[in-house]
Amino acid sequence: MIFVHLFYEFFKIGLFSFGGGYATIPFLYHIGEVYGWFSAVDLERMIAIASVTPGPVGVNMATYTGLTSGGLVGSLIATTAITIPSLILIVIISKILKKFRENFYVKAVIYGLKPASCALLASVALQMILSKTNDIYAMGIFVAFLTMSFLTKKDPLFYLGITGLIGLIIKTFHII
Amino acid sequence: MNTKMSLLRLFLLFVKIGAILLGGGYVILPVMKAEFVEKNKLISEDDLIDYFAISQSLPGIIAANISIFVGYKLRRTIGAIIAVIGVTFAPFWSIVLLASVISKYLHTDFMQGIFWGVGIGVMVLMVQATREMWAKAFEDKFAYLIFFAGLGVMLFTNLSPVLVVISSAIIGVIYKSLINRGRSV
Repeated sequence: MIFVHLFYEFFKIGLFSFGGGYATIPFLYHIGEVYGWFSAVDLERMIAIASVTPGPVGVNMATYTGLTSGGLVGSLIATTAITIPSLILIVIISKILKKFRENFYVKAVIYGLKPASCALLASVALQMILSKTNDIYAMGIFVAFLTMSFLTKKDPLFYLGITGLIGLIIKTFHII
Repeated sequence: MNTKMSLLRLFLLFVKIGAILLGGGYVILPVMKAEFVEKNKLISEDDLIDYFAISQSLPGIIAANISIFVGYKLRRTIGAIIAVIGVTFAPFWSIVLLASVISKYLHTDFMQGIFWGVGIGVMVLMVQATREMWAKAFEDKFAYLIFFAGLGVMLFTNLSPVLVVISSAIIGVIYKSLINRGRSV
């Protein structure tokens, strides 16, 4: 039964997530809450791992969440399911490519989807931050790196590498 | 541009592309340009840029979408399927291998420390990704209303994000239709 749910949920993500890799996260966050396959903390781990392994983050997220919730078969199902809507849509769209982008309804739908997709991501970002407000050390490091991210543009690997190292040092040597 | 590419070669090219991508789909355009436009002259640069633009407004994974477009262009439906299997191949196995290693050491102090720190990095990345989307999200003032309505629903109810996506698409169509009618009267 879990495989059916996995297929259904990841098919939905493939069909309704707009805006690239991180756009899958709000859906995964919701799935975690509904099915209990993984916790919010697990999801944070998955995001970190998906961001430092090769390949599109969306594929990595599907593979990892599938793996956590349904083993190797689960990850295969999740990864397949998330790409099937694209496959179907694009085979259809390829025949009417030029007209597609100029179409009134396509433009109107995208007009509504852009702010909505941004709202989904913002809501998860906020909830993640709120869940850590009682850890003042984490919040301090967060604010420092957030400020940095506003000032200069750095690669995801930079943030995950440095914060991972800080965590390793702090926790291994019991500094705090 | 008439030479037909063998399915095996197509598959291997996309495996390579999937393995190169790190952290996101945005570097896919230069990589694909090098492979399909310059080296193998299989598709035109204009087509590739079109695919890239449309892929970003389609649902799903952007890098997978572009791969499907290119695969379809080269070998129709079977090409599209091979392309998407190819581009997901390396990420799939790298995750499977990495996850099994990580789960073995997950409860060590060492791993817990790394994940505690990385959890902070992830929050920075989430804010950064939100800001990048924010920069392109608003065509006019009404779009801000959609944003805050969506945010409110997500924060204060347990409704599915799918619902937010569907209703914002419907609102977009209604709003744009009303504006259009207003103009033509």
